[in-house]
Amino acid sequence: MIDLSMIEWGDIALATWETLVMTGVSLFFTVLIGLPLGILLFVTSQGQLLEQRALYRVLSFVANVLRSVPFLILLIVMIPVTVILIGTSLGVEGAIPPLVVATSPFFARLVENVLREVDRGVIEACQAMGIRTHRIIFGALLPEALPGLLAATTVTAITLISYAAMSGVIGGGGLGDLAIRFGYQRFQTEVMVITVALLVVLVQLIQYAGDRLVLHFSRK
Amino acid sequence: MIRIEGLGKTYLVKGREVSALDGVDLEIAKGEIFGIIGRSGAGKSTLLRSLNLLERPSSGRVLIDGEDITGFDRQRLHALRQRIGMIFQHFNLLNAKTVAANIDWPLRCTSNLTAAQRTERVAELLALVGLSEHAGKYPAQLSGGQKQRVGIARALASRPQLLLCDEATSALDPETTQSILRLLLDINRRLGLTIVLITHEMQVIRTLCDRVAVIDGGRIVESGKVADVFLHPRHPVTRSMVAQDDPLTAAMLDPTHAFAQDKLRGTLVRLTYVGDITYQPVLSDIMAASAVRFTILQGEVSSIKDLPFGQLLLELEGSDEDVRRVFAELDRHHIHHEVLQ
Repeated sequence: MIDLSMIEWGDIALATWETLVMTGVSLFFTVLIGLPLGILLFVTSQGQLLEQRALYRVLSFVANVLRSVPFLILLIVMIPVTVILIGTSLGVEGAIPPLVVATSPFFARLVENVLREVDRGVIEACQAMGIRTHRIIFGALLPEALPGLLAATTVTAITLISYAAMSGVIGGGGLGDLAIRFGYQRFQTEVMVITVALLVVLVQLIQYAGDRLVLHFSRK
Repeated sequence: MIRIEGLGKTYLVKGREVSALDGVDLEIAKGEIFGIIGRSGAGKSTLLRSLNLLERPSSGRVLIDGEDITGFDRQRLHALRQRIGMIFQHFNLLNAKTVAANIDWPLRCTSNLTAAQRTERVAELLALVGLSEHAGKYPAQLSGGQKQRVGIARALASRPQLLLCDEATSALDPETTQSILRLLLDINRRLGLTIVLITHEMQVIRTLCDRVAVIDGGRIVESGKVADVFLHPRHPVTRSMVAQDDPLTAAMLDPTHAFAQDKLRGTLVRLTYVGDITYQPVLSDIMAASAVRFTILQGEVSSIKDLPFGQLLLELEGSDEDVRRVFAELDRHHIHHEVLQ
């Protein structure tokens, strides 16, 4: 039997808020770093607007390295860096740098793939008009890719929710922290169940909102 | 207006050099509609794209208004491309922009018109291609023909002197193709625009072009006025393309398959003629004055673009001397004859 009487609802509300903050702030920085990186990956790749094979190889290698480190290990490796950056590796703030480092290359790859899906003929038409490359990128390429970029952002947001929960292991805040401290270490199964249920709800809401946005901007 | 000299293009495919263009020479005059026809893979697309350097030739020169564009730096290339419009088989419209925004896009990026002037220009172009009511729609809401009209309006936005058409009607049904071809012809006449198009459809060439070049294996195998090339195809590739487009001409070019040989007694002759003579009773006059009797085995009277032409397959019966005299009379009236057997 699940006994809900012992649950501190205030703690749960706070943890949910913390998870939202971690995800939101991390998503903001992930897009800030990952979007330009993804654009750069795309335009420097073979046969594209600003083909630069050497640069592409370096960027691609860095992205791959960061993506191949398991997140749990990245969390630990990042601790000293995080301390230097924001003074602590704990709590909500402490979780954000490793989250951003983990998801930026992931998002950049998604962006690269989304841009690759844009009809080459459209870009070629712009080139044939004598339009400058930066205008093609910002005025044609990105608007054409907007629905795909929004979908990629949704996927990344959901990845962030689960990563943010994982950061509870090393003392990050939020629902993951709650689940580990109460649900796991104190055997309060009810807390575990409720945190997982809340995470499910969060993911569903983000996916729903993302899908709506994608649909709103789709012109196909 | 355009002069292509010794144009060559080789690609590196898996370490091997593959030649797409091989020593192409062409001259295209101002105001004409010039067609390049060939099968897929013949090099026509590479050739067309060399005219605005979407494709960089490996050798040779492309002169536009006397200037070799192959040496242009980025700045001059941008300026050149702004003077050349281009339309595409798959339209290549920006799906995220409305019809009006698509047409406005090159103006916004490359002209120094004010917003009000641009709006005016877009309205003008929409009217030209007959899409004024669709200004606010997105490309996905348009039919193929309407999308190509947007493509044409966009290509004309910055008032180019040259329009390149890359298989512009190949994705359209026959009826829509005709309406797009009519629009192009109208634009050519009203704006004095030079049009260079590539196609694999003889029909497009016949309807629209003044001159044609046939390309095969990266080389121009035949070129000239459309009526000449169409009525007297010499190269096997041209012959087979004419044959696919027009079975009647095919049968007249090679009648040995079409007729029971044992029924033929006289000389088999194919006559061709173009222009006003199509509407004159010349043949009747010549034959009335001669002892030669004739049978019409096959024939066609039609027009290429707006040039009327006729071709007849005749069997002539008479003395060699009389037949020779008929031939001399035909020559005198510029009726081309070839003895088939």
